[in-house]
This record gives sequence, C-alpha cells and structure tokens, in this order.
Amino acid sequence: MIENPTRIWGWAACALGLVGCGSRASAWDAPFTPSAGVTVSSSYGLTGSVAVVDAPLGRVLMLRSPSALSIDSVAFGLGHDLATAQVSSDKKTLFALSRGVQPQRSASDELPQLMLIDGSTAPSVLKSYVLTEPMDNLALDPQNEWAVVYGGSGTVVNPNELVLVDLSQDGDVAQTFKTLRSTGGKPKRLTFTPKLAVAGADPRRFLVVERDSDIVLIDLSNPVANVVTVPLPVTENGQTGTSAQIVYDAASATLAVRVAGSSSVYALPLGAPAQPDEAFSVAPNLIDVGGIPAAIDFMHTADGLRLVALVGTNAVLVDPVTTNLKTKPLSAAFTGIRRITAALDATASATADDVALLYSQNSTTIAFLTLDASTSNGSVDSYDIGVSVKDVIDVPGDTFADRKILETPAHQFYMLDLTKRQSAPMETSTGLTLQVAPDGDRVWAYEPGGTGFASVDFSTLHPISLKAERAVSSVYEIEAADGGHSALALHAGNGQGLGATVVDAVHPSTATARFYSGLEFGGVK
Amino acid sequence: MARFQWFGALKAACIAGAAALSFSTVAEAEPLGSHQPLVQASLGVRASKVPSKGYDAFATSDELIQVSIGVGATVLKGGNFSLAGVGFWDYGTRSGTARGDGTELDVHRLSIGPEFRYHLIPTLFVFANALPAFAHSEASLDDPIAGATRYARHWSFGADFAAGAAYQVYGMRSGESSKPRVWLMAEGGYGYQPSTRLVLSPDAGSDAPQRTQPLDLGSLALGGPFLRASAAVSF
Repeated sequence: MIENPTRIWGWAACALGLVGCGSRASAWDAPFTPSAGVTVSSSYGLTGSVAVVDAPLGRVLMLRSPSALSIDSVAFGLGHDLATAQVSSDKKTLFALSRGVQPQRSASDELPQLMLIDGSTAPSVLKSYVLTEPMDNLALDPQNEWAVVYGGSGTVVNPNELVLVDLSQDGDVAQTFKTLRSTGGKPKRLTFTPKLAVAGADPRRFLVVERDSDIVLIDLSNPVANVVTVPLPVTENGQTGTSAQIVYDAASATLAVRVAGSSSVYALPLGAPAQPDEAFSVAPNLIDVGGIPAAIDFMHTADGLRLVALVGTNAVLVDPVTTNLKTKPLSAAFTGIRRITAALDATASATADDVALLYSQNSTTIAFLTLDASTSNGSVDSYDIGVSVKDVIDVPGDTFADRKILETPAHQFYMLDLTKRQSAPMETSTGLTLQVAPDGDRVWAYEPGGTGFASVDFSTLHPISLKAERAVSSVYEIEAADGGHSALALHAGNGQGLGATVVDAVHPSTATARFYSGLEFGGVK
Repeated sequence: MARFQWFGALKAACIAGAAALSFSTVAEAEPLGSHQPLVQASLGVRASKVPSKGYDAFATSDELIQVSIGVGATVLKGGNFSLAGVGFWDYGTRSGTARGDGTELDVHRLSIGPEFRYHLIPTLFVFANALPAFAHSEASLDDPIAGATRYARHWSFGADFAAGAAYQVYGMRSGESSKPRVWLMAEGGYGYQPSTRLVLSPDAGSDAPQRTQPLDLGSLALGGPFLRASAAVSF
C-alpha cells in the first residue's frame, strides 16, 4: 500500500531535522575529585567561607553560610592548571597561582595569573595579576602587602628570578621582576620581616630569601635596588652551610641565621649605608654557641638584646653587639622557642622584657623563660605535661590571645593559658587534626576519614564531641552572613561528590545538625 | 539566524512533500465514508527536544524519546472536514550521569483535546490539534555521600500544539467498508510546559543522614518542539 517509500523517508528526515540535537556542558561529565596534591589542598578555611578546590573543573567552590546551619555556594574559575593556593595569614583572602595554557597556541589562550579571592561571607574575585611566565611557588607576606611568585616551570627557567607583587597596586605596575645573583642555589624559603629600624635610614621591611648556601636581603621599600647577598659559613665538618632558621629583631634591625649542622649562628646587624648607593649595610658576625643549636630567637632583656640559642639542656645567651656568651641551664633539652611577650601583653613595647615558651619534641617538659633585670640571668619555670610537643599553634583574635595550643605526636593536645601558666590536656582516641576558629574563640579537632569531630571552647575548656553520619575530611568554622557562626564538617571522597554536615559553631549539636550533599553541582551549567 | 534558515528549509521541504503526495493521488478522489474514522487508536513514538538547562543533569543530549499511545473519535463531519477528540499518553525515561552520579528522569504526559482534520484524498488527511496536557515528571539522582536516591516529583499543566498528516497504508478503497484501516501518522509541533524546580530530596525512610537538605539543581522545563510518528487503526 505504500506507494513510494522514499516519500516516507522524506517525512522522517523532516522529523529528525525538527527535533535536532543538542549537547550539554562538559562539566556534567567530570566527576568531582578532591585535590590531593602537595601544593594544592582540597579545601581552605577562610573567615566567612570555605574554599573547596574543584580541580576537574578548574574552579573553586566557595561555601558560605547565609545563616547558622545553612550553606550555599558560589564558584569562581581558578585559571588553567592551578600550581598552588594559599590563604592569607588573616584568613580573609585566598591566593591562587595558575600556570595558564602552556604552551600558548593562540592569543586567546589563558596566561599565568595570580588570583585573589575574597573569603568573606560574600566571596568575590578581588583582583588578578596576569604573569608573563608560569610559576610554581608562592610566598605570602603576613602583613598582606606583598606576594612573591617564583620557581618557573617554562621551557627556560630562571630559578633565581622572583616576581614581587605589590598587593596595594593593580596591573603590571604591581610587579617587580628581581633576579638574584646566582651562586649555585635557588630560593628555598622566603621570610617577610616587619619594619626594621635600620640605623641612619627610615624603618623598612625586608624580604629574606634563603638559598642553598646564602641568604639574600631585598629591601621592600625599594625592591628595584640592589640586593645584599650574604654567603653562609661552612660547617665544622667542611660542608656548605645552609640556613635552618631565620629570626629577626625589629628594634635593633638585626637578623640571625641558624646554620644547619653548625655550632655557629650568624648575626646580621643591619646598619647605616656604607656606600652612597646603598640603603643599608650588613656586618655579619659569626658566633660559636658551643654546640649545634636546636632553635634560636631574640629576646629583649633589661641588659639589652640577647640571641637565645637552645643548645642541649642549656640556653646560650648571646649579646649580638659584643658576642659575649652566657649559659643558662635548662630543665630539659628544648627544641623550640616561641616569644610570647605580645600574647601576654598586647601593649608591650618592642623592647619590653621578653618571655619565651620553650618546648621540645624529645622531652615532656615545657618552660617559660624570662630574662629580666630582677632575676639577672633570668628564670625558667618548667612544667612536665607528660607528653612532648610537636608544634605550638597560635590563637588568632584578641579575646584569647594569651592562649596557645600545644600539638603533640600522641593522641592528645594541650590548651595552654600563658597568663595563668596552666595547661589543660585534651585526650582523644585517635590522632586528630586541629583547626582554630578564625575568631579564636574555639578549636575544632577531627580525624580525617573518621566520623568524629569536636570543639573546645577557650573560655570554658569544655569539649563537645560530635559524630557525623558520614566520614569527615576536614572541619572549618566560618562566620555566617547573619552574624552567627557555622562549623562545616566536609565529606569528600573520590567520585563521591561533596557534602557537609553543618552545625551551629557556638552551640554545636548533632541534634540540630543539617546535612548537605551535591555541593559539587553548585554553579555547573 | 542559521537555525531559522534551517527550519525554514525543512518547512518548505515538508510542504513540498505533502503537495507531491497530494498531486500524485488526486485522481483517487471518491466519497470519504469510513475514511473519516469513527474511532481510532494509535501507537507510536514521540521525540521531543528539551532545550532546558535542567535537562542536562539527566542526558548528554536534548532528545527525549517517549512511547506514545493515542485514541480518538470523530465527533463532527462536514465534507472533507472533520472534528475529532483525541488524547495521548506519552511516557519516556532518560538516564545518565551528572558529575559521576547516576541520574534518571521519568516523564508521563497526558494530553487531550480537539483535532481538526481535512481529507485531501480519502487515504490522506492533514490535521492540526491543540491539546491541553498534564505532565508528571520524576527526576532522581543517586547521591553517594547521602547514601540515598534523591527525587523531585512534579505535576505540571501545559499544552501541545501540533499539525501533521495521516496516510492510509491498509484498508479498503471504498468508504462504504467498515473494516479496520491502518494509517501511518506523522505530526510535529510544540509542547509547552512550564518549568518546575529541580529540588531533590531523599524519600522518607531512606538511609540519608538526618535533616538531609534538599539539593537544588535549578529548574526543568519539559517543553519544546516535538515530533510524533505513529501507526493507527481506525474503524
């Protein structure tokens, strides 16, 4: 009965043409995979949001809390081929360094860039600095005035080139390209000093670049000026000296370098310029402290500035001007020293008598070291806390500035009240990761991969243990847009998507916690 | 602009095809009789293009293929013109993945309304219809972290507007015959359906954590151009 089949096929062709085809965005085909790189973490806690790196889509998801217990997200492209990301010391800004499209095939290919993302309750891209060459490393100024990118990954790399980015400026004028004179090494670690009171000159900040066998001083008040390179001394066994620690004293404009494997410390007082074209001069002074120091730091005393070197069970006090030494016996072989003067008294002057906290990875004793006029040689108040200390964590904010958290290698951590010199142990069943709230009111502890997490309020030292219904990868507290505080326990696994259990940070309870998942879909179109 | 040109060309081709069919059989004109079906039942396929962004979570392309079952009955006749009441039930499903999570969309569409028909010749008629439609959709997403399947279910009201042609491929030449006739039918048109929110939540009693919050994947509008090809039996 079909008189002409070709006519039927004609109708079919019409039909197919009318319906047509369409394809979706490729983002739907990219499973969410948490970043697990060395230089890029899977997530970053900021003051008002949590940044979750969505590497498959080259973007960051900023999770924010409109009100306590609620979250939503906004996504920003991070640039092609993310090299590293860091959070500013005040946790207000996320810095993302991307390499861009390499090699570039067209003018539209994305260039390397350093992007700044506001981490408040209303995240936004603050600014972006376009770089000319892909860089791998990023160093941030704790005072948020500078960022330095270095360590290129192009075909030809100048390992001693630094790009100093003045964060107060925009565009190309913000960037200063600085090539350090090579002595065979390359930058390993960068330290930004506060303003140092250099004699005969205005106070100025310095960037200290530690390289394999020397350190380089860059005057940040005039970054295009010539740098000063200070070779490090060889060790006692004839090996090339490398810096293990840099400390500084602002009032006297003095730096000191602990040289790895050497019993000598290198004092570097910065003085008035010796030449007309110099902004400052350096008069290195090598001081043998009688043994290999585990740690060094400056301390102010009534008798003047002293460089304290922890050598065995002694504190060797060095007068950086005269290089005279005094030895103060200690109760243990301390391996760490942290000045806590400002934590005890925020109004203390820069030259006030200092108090230092001594701790050790090899001993269960902590001590408070004071070098003041009344005690002549100083005092050491020791406390056996029963466990060694791996690290000392500062508490941000003003409310509990006199508190420290002692991180231990065991299943416990200590809340330390510096004023009362009291420590409160917090015992756990497993090793925990600690995350201090941005406002410094409490600390969150969790075991990555486990379901348990807890908060400890600094005012009461009362721990509240919580148990999520899914494995926790990290915990962050953020400020909510309505002024409240939310704690986000993130759930992220390979190919599992992204979720979060959200609790009221001030009154945490799983009875009111809310569970969110599918967060990886935020912004996918 | 290019898309409009493409549709224009298709439209011209369709009209030309219909005209060719008409002219080749014009000599067959005779009394219509039972060529104007008293009742009719059809089985076919409806192919829709769903351009909604919300559809992307469930499919890698915009097509939605549905099985289509239709019934109709002529209620008025006047020369070559007739008016029928027709109704369709279209059902289709589309499954895929969204960032690695399994997804599925089930769509039922029930439309009913008047259809105007004009017989060019006894074995060929063209028609146009405007059918109010009800659609029920069930969107689901397998949520691995929640450990449950999330759902968004909606009823929505819309309408189908279509025109097409039916050609008799089996049946007696005489309109006096009351024996069954078999038709091949093709129609195209636009299905309007307002968007509904894709707010997916696990069902009560699932293994999802307590107070699992809804997941908002935007909105889904199941409207768009469609084609339906079917075979019908009439009496």
